[in-house]
Amino acid sequence: MTWKKRQQLTGYLFLAPYALSFLVFLVLPILVALVLSVMQFDLTATEQIKFIGTQNFTDAWKDDYVKQAMIATARYVLLFVPSLLVLSLAMAVGLNAVKKGRNVFRGMIFLPGIFTIAVTAILWQFFYNLEFGFFNWVIKQFGGTAVPWLSEKSLAMPSIVLMSLWWLSGGTAVILLASLQQIPTMYHEAAALDGAGSWKTFSKITMPLIKPVLLFTVLTNTIGAFQMFPQASLLTQGGPELSTRGTVQYIYEIAFQQYRLGYAAAISWMLTAVIMVFGIVQFIAMRRNSAQ
Amino acid sequence: MTARTGIGLLLGLCLGLSVVRGDFSCGTLASKKTPITFWNGFTGPDGRVMLEMIRDFNRENPDVEVTMQRIPWALYYNKVMVSGLDGRGPDVFVIHASALTRMQRAGVLAPMDSLFESAIPADDFDPYVVEQTKFEGKRYCVPLDIHPQGMFLNKDMLRAAGLSAAPKNREEFLRAAKVMKSSETFGFALTAWQNNFMSLLPQFDGHYMGADGKVDLDCPGNVEALEFLGSLKSKYDLIPPPDNQLGWVGYRQKKVGMVWDGIYMLGDLLRLEGMNYAGAPIPVIGKHAGTLADSHTLCFRPGMGATQREASERFVKYLSANSLRWAGAGQVPARRSVRETPEFKKMQVQAAFAEQIPTMMYFPRIPVLFEMGIEVNLAVEKVIRGRATAKEALKIADENTQMAMDRDAEQHKKVVTP
Repeated sequence: MTWKKRQQLTGYLFLAPYALSFLVFLVLPILVALVLSVMQFDLTATEQIKFIGTQNFTDAWKDDYVKQAMIATARYVLLFVPSLLVLSLAMAVGLNAVKKGRNVFRGMIFLPGIFTIAVTAILWQFFYNLEFGFFNWVIKQFGGTAVPWLSEKSLAMPSIVLMSLWWLSGGTAVILLASLQQIPTMYHEAAALDGAGSWKTFSKITMPLIKPVLLFTVLTNTIGAFQMFPQASLLTQGGPELSTRGTVQYIYEIAFQQYRLGYAAAISWMLTAVIMVFGIVQFIAMRRNSAQ
Repeated sequence: MTARTGIGLLLGLCLGLSVVRGDFSCGTLASKKTPITFWNGFTGPDGRVMLEMIRDFNRENPDVEVTMQRIPWALYYNKVMVSGLDGRGPDVFVIHASALTRMQRAGVLAPMDSLFESAIPADDFDPYVVEQTKFEGKRYCVPLDIHPQGMFLNKDMLRAAGLSAAPKNREEFLRAAKVMKSSETFGFALTAWQNNFMSLLPQFDGHYMGADGKVDLDCPGNVEALEFLGSLKSKYDLIPPPDNQLGWVGYRQKKVGMVWDGIYMLGDLLRLEGMNYAGAPIPVIGKHAGTLADSHTLCFRPGMGATQREASERFVKYLSANSLRWAGAGQVPARRSVRETPEFKKMQVQAAFAEQIPTMMYFPRIPVLFEMGIEVNLAVEKVIRGRATAKEALKIADENTQMAMDRDAEQHKKVVTP
């Protein structure tokens, strides 16, 4: 065996563990889910398992609860992703400007992200509790009346989004801060010499230069937001009146509480399609913007 | 290969196999005892009592080794279902009576008629409870306990409000809820909405299924029951605004005087210090007494060998015969003879909840019980929040549950009929 071939083989051997896990834990389940989605596959009636073509997809299309879950998911995505972007960017810019104690602030901002979602939800349940919660205690101190954060339909989803922002914005801010710190200072110095104000410098120099990182954070957070499950499941259990039950939670209930794996797989594929469409559109839009 | 290398390889193989199997028995090292695996969801204090019972059984039966695995109920049924379908399920396992229909249809339960014929007296169980174990004439489980919904009271709050006894009817209940309400406390609060509502159905002669086999959730009795529950907020303003799990948390924090919940919550109270509580039947709000109930039942997997089956039957017989100890964990035994013992009668909460057994009603035996639960919960929530009348909310629940029943019947061509 030549030296070059041996080098190649070594490379493949290093990649093999990941490639194997990729095949077994990603490709195989995707294929299984694809097969399940065209089957009537109910664990409580295994003798009735059969191929039913697109029936699961047409049933899901007509299922009002799928629509309701998709709408709840869309509300979460639309509220969460832009808010996360604005908040994280503001924190990153602030951190970048601070010279003294930057690491302390960075640590503080990053801290909530190291909690598990279970811990985060328990903490925020205490904040949101109608009778004994921290937020309502503060409101009452100023003479206000208690706000039903989690039991009022119009407030429940924004409350979940607020918790998610607290939990996740630190990590995104740290990523954006790293990209801000990569920008050579000479660009900003040149802009200052040319008389550009801070907004112009930010919009014409900073933003274009961090756009690739922004694209990455928007894409990953959009995909993550579409998969929202534990936040609502732990905080509101999908209520009030199922208004915060997202698509993944509904898929979980169908698959693991109703045992209808075929139907759940079909809805999973529908959600995957939605995520892919959003992802591709965002990717194209932001790349076009970057090129300009 | 040296002897040392050979031994090392053998030990490595044993260790590897034990890791794969999930235990540490290997080849000739394994004992000659008949191993019995026992799964349940008793992750609270009840699990500790069960563990002690198993230790005693193992000591009294040296030829059998029962090992228990406790899994939280939220994950439990998935594991039992999947492992059972694959033939790798536990030998003995606990299933709620309400889950039997699905489990039996999935084929993960073995008939247990022989056990009733040989070791366990069927006439020691209430006939209604025995009926829950039967499918197409065969018995598929041994009921271990009955867990009715009942009323938990804070005796200190009751006394401070000038009340000497638990309310027994609608007037007394409303009065108690009113006098215990203050700016800091509530006399009554809802816990699990679905169960609170279903506890009232037998009192109003309500039901789940009509005589024609169709879902009948919006029958007059059910509507009356839900109207009463809704009136606690809309008419009487006695309960807190609906929020997640507020009722039980408030009760534990001594801010709620009365709640309706299952006897299984007693385990939570047993751990609390300084809580002066009592149990009582749910007051007669409707036409007569009644409540919702369910049972933990003991089941076998199909395909057990004769030796293992015999050992499993011995184990189940032991648990059933010693269910007075199980009662100590905050449960009501299914065996009538156990409930009639002076020791059980001394258990105030358990005995008070057990008074309701003659008038209790179990969940409907339908394969789409989970779907129905979601619909009923939604209906109760709408009424409590004042977003729909009881009739409107239950009509929607009825239609959606019937749709789920029809879909299930269509897909499976037959609905299991008890």
